[in-house]
Amino acid sequence: MESELIPISEAAKRLGISIDTLRRWDESGKLMATRKSPGGTRYYLEKSLDIFLHKLFKIAYEWATNSEPTEIPAPFYSPDSSTFQARLIKMQGLLATVPSAADILSLLVAITGEIGNNSFDHNIGNWPDKPGIFYGYDANKGEIVLADRGLGILKTLQRVRPGLNNHKDALKVAFTEMISGRAPEERGNGLKFVRKVIIENPISLRFQTGDAELIIPKESSDLNITKPKQSLRGCVALIKF
Amino acid sequence: MNIELKKFGTALISRQAGKEAFAAFQSSLKDVHEQEDIIVDFDGVITFSPSWGDEFLTPLIQRYGGRFKLMHTHNPSVKATVEILEKSNNIKFNVVE
Repeated sequence: MESELIPISEAAKRLGISIDTLRRWDESGKLMATRKSPGGTRYYLEKSLDIFLHKLFKIAYEWATNSEPTEIPAPFYSPDSSTFQARLIKMQGLLATVPSAADILSLLVAITGEIGNNSFDHNIGNWPDKPGIFYGYDANKGEIVLADRGLGILKTLQRVRPGLNNHKDALKVAFTEMISGRAPEERGNGLKFVRKVIIENPISLRFQTGDAELIIPKESSDLNITKPKQSLRGCVALIKF
Repeated sequence: MNIELKKFGTALISRQAGKEAFAAFQSSLKDVHEQEDIIVDFDGVITFSPSWGDEFLTPLIQRYGGRFKLMHTHNPSVKATVEILEKSNNIKFNVVE
């Protein structure tokens, strides 16, 4: 699904600002128009507006659920693990300045790292189409979003648990059962760590793989797994703090 | 011997980085005496994760057993990581003040 071009009048409405302000932003580079018609009307990509409004989760979700991989704006795309590590370190520095994150800074970075690295570790050499992950955050809103177009939890867990046959059970195993033995692939217990951290801290998680979505509320051990409207092959995660 | 983890960075997160750190540290381990303790110091580390820890701490405790110790820290990511590594690998780290 291609992002739509929206005329400046509609873009101004969505952002809740005047057309004049949008024109000034275009000239200053704060939010640049994607295209200008011969008559001078500015048009904006819907995706650019979403990013400007920090609809990170919406962008990530659409990218992960689309039948074909669409382009992700460069700042949110980590094509490889080393790019992801560098951006995690940048987030570590930024979160240190946000009062709501200061006490749980190391835990937020650690669980983000575990979820993102899970995508890389379990899909390396096997990405079905687009390699890499979507990784974005809004420190002020207290949101961290990760997504991949990988094989998903069920397929990667079946390598060590061939009996698993649905996404719901796979998600439950990934978040609750210690998986011992490293053959035939290295497998940490990263998602169990994520759950442990959430149980003990003011952090919540929404995580979807396949047709199973898990929601762990803040400081809760509840493992609420439901069937979302839309299925996806890889994984999408929303961490809130 | 004290291992200052901050020499490997302030964010010790990925499995790959943990493996590289462990490989790089092998030459230093040759100098360890038979009865000597190996103590890991987390001072200066901001983020520590199970993936990195499993590649670095787990093989060291397997090799040195009770001589391998962790220095006490208030860092919550270190504490949570140590607990999950103990549970998943069925091991117990010695912690020293």
